[in-house]
Amino acid sequence: MNSRERVLLALNHKEPDRIPYDMGGTVVTGIQAKAYARLRKYLDLPEKEIIIIDILQQLAQVDDDVMDRMGLDFRNISPRSTASFKIELKLTPDGRYSFFHDEYQIGWRMPVDGGMYYDMFDHPLIGNISEEDVDRYRLPDPLDPSRFEGLRESAQKVLEQEKRALVIGNISAGIFELYLWTRGFKDGYTEWAENPSMAKKLLRKYSDLQLAYWERMFEVMEGIPIDVVQMADDLAGQNGMLISPGSYRRQLKPFHKEMFDFIHSKTDAKIFFHSCGSIRPLIPDLIEIGVDILNPVQVSAANMDSAELKREFGKDICFWGGGVDTQNVFDETHSPQQVRADVRKRLEDWMPGGGFVFNTVHNIQGNVPPENIMAMWETVRECGVYQN
Amino acid sequence: MELKTIYDAVINGEVQETQDLIREALADGIPAETILHDALIPAMTQVGCLFEAQEYYVPEMLVSAKAMQTGMQSLKPLLASEESKFDRQASPKAALGTVKGDLHDIGKDLVITMLEGAGFQVMDLGVDVQPEKFIEAIQDGAQLIGLSAMLTTTMLNMRSTIEALEEAGVRERVKVLVGGAPLNQSYADHIGADGFARDASSAVRKAQELLHVNEAKGE
Repeated sequence: MNSRERVLLALNHKEPDRIPYDMGGTVVTGIQAKAYARLRKYLDLPEKEIIIIDILQQLAQVDDDVMDRMGLDFRNISPRSTASFKIELKLTPDGRYSFFHDEYQIGWRMPVDGGMYYDMFDHPLIGNISEEDVDRYRLPDPLDPSRFEGLRESAQKVLEQEKRALVIGNISAGIFELYLWTRGFKDGYTEWAENPSMAKKLLRKYSDLQLAYWERMFEVMEGIPIDVVQMADDLAGQNGMLISPGSYRRQLKPFHKEMFDFIHSKTDAKIFFHSCGSIRPLIPDLIEIGVDILNPVQVSAANMDSAELKREFGKDICFWGGGVDTQNVFDETHSPQQVRADVRKRLEDWMPGGGFVFNTVHNIQGNVPPENIMAMWETVRECGVYQN
Repeated sequence: MELKTIYDAVINGEVQETQDLIREALADGIPAETILHDALIPAMTQVGCLFEAQEYYVPEMLVSAKAMQTGMQSLKPLLASEESKFDRQASPKAALGTVKGDLHDIGKDLVITMLEGAGFQVMDLGVDVQPEKFIEAIQDGAQLIGLSAMLTTTMLNMRSTIEALEEAGVRERVKVLVGGAPLNQSYADHIGADGFARDASSAVRKAQELLHVNEAKGE
């Protein structure tokens, strides 16, 4: 059974030979560069330059030798920035931060000393804005040909040679995320309740960008079977939803539905949807509008117990993530034995009947030692085999 | 019943309405401090309760806070004047920041908003705050320090911040409240914090408890 066959069985709620294993198949199921460098060394793989594929999260490109060694089942293909856009990294005058502005004019910075991620500090639409400001705000061109250069050839190689499952990434963060990132969190959240029509106008703009992108991407990939399409919108926090379920249904769900309907009309790919936190109140809504896969399944958030979720929703949605508790177990303060114990428990909860892809909760963080990464991997190899 | 209508307007997040009602109340001779203590602060307390009950979420809480803050603009000049009985000295003082290395300020900003809503004077120390800045804030009169972290990798700097307070000899003068997504009570105990709060609303309650705010007012 090759990777693609394994994945397709699992995503269709059937038991393959073993649990499909992901590390780097998406930008929310990857590995931070520092942890990746240590992992390569630990695996005795040749020293090489680590390529950063996501500057914000400092995610490493998982190299072919690691993919082969760990038997990773997914390959990510994502659009590039436009050729005219180059990230210009600068230093703040006090030398404490490295910073840049992205294609959306959002400003990001990271502490020079000990920084692990870039975080936002500047928002192009912060403050009091008018509808004209929204119209004037220029988004990057989703159809710029340089975004798609070489992607079809890469996809063909994945399909014909590697036989891994093909995951296509989105052009940007989720539409609600973009809304908050461009407005700034405080203004964006306030407006969400105070002036929903402005929020709607912005969501329309971001949705149109993504719809145009997906239409072009499906044209580029014509005839190549895409297995998974990756979508995201963080809607929940540690203890509950960030916005009310009611406002999700009124103000955001129609946009999600429109996008997912479009994607399902163009491809047989499964829709992977990422939202951190305690997203449980919305899982039935997501199922209803065509989400096939939920990620990262933050098992440490409120009401996100793995056994309960599998029992309640396992027939209707796949879980991709939740394989180890990143917040409480998967770090440098816990032993490989503790990691093994947590992974074993999660596998018992998640694996019956398929519908599960192994991944940590979100990316492997920069502080995770390689011993713990491999303890996790070995446990999945030992216990993640289906007896059929 | 102007106070009740102001109270309702804040809870319902009616920004303009709150401001209009406050102006009317002032014109009718209701003292600014009465409006603050009998309408605005109780309204924000109720908003906190609705948030904890998951009837209100971050957006609703922020709009209510905006209503209160807009209303406060009319009250502030009066509260600061000589005639006012509002005692700036007596209002509890807190300084908040995200710890060194952590740039996530949404949670911290919500806590500040809610503390101000409860009548605290709050110094916002910003993000990625070095321990020295917390020490300075204590020397400037902060009675409570709020440390925030969103990452398991940065929450470790909470402990080093508390240690720095000890080394500087100011730890005993201040209460330390910690919060952020990856934290819990046992971690707070482990690093020697005085309190932990899981959200902005319980942070207010915890801060009041640590500083004996309501007891001092004889309530």
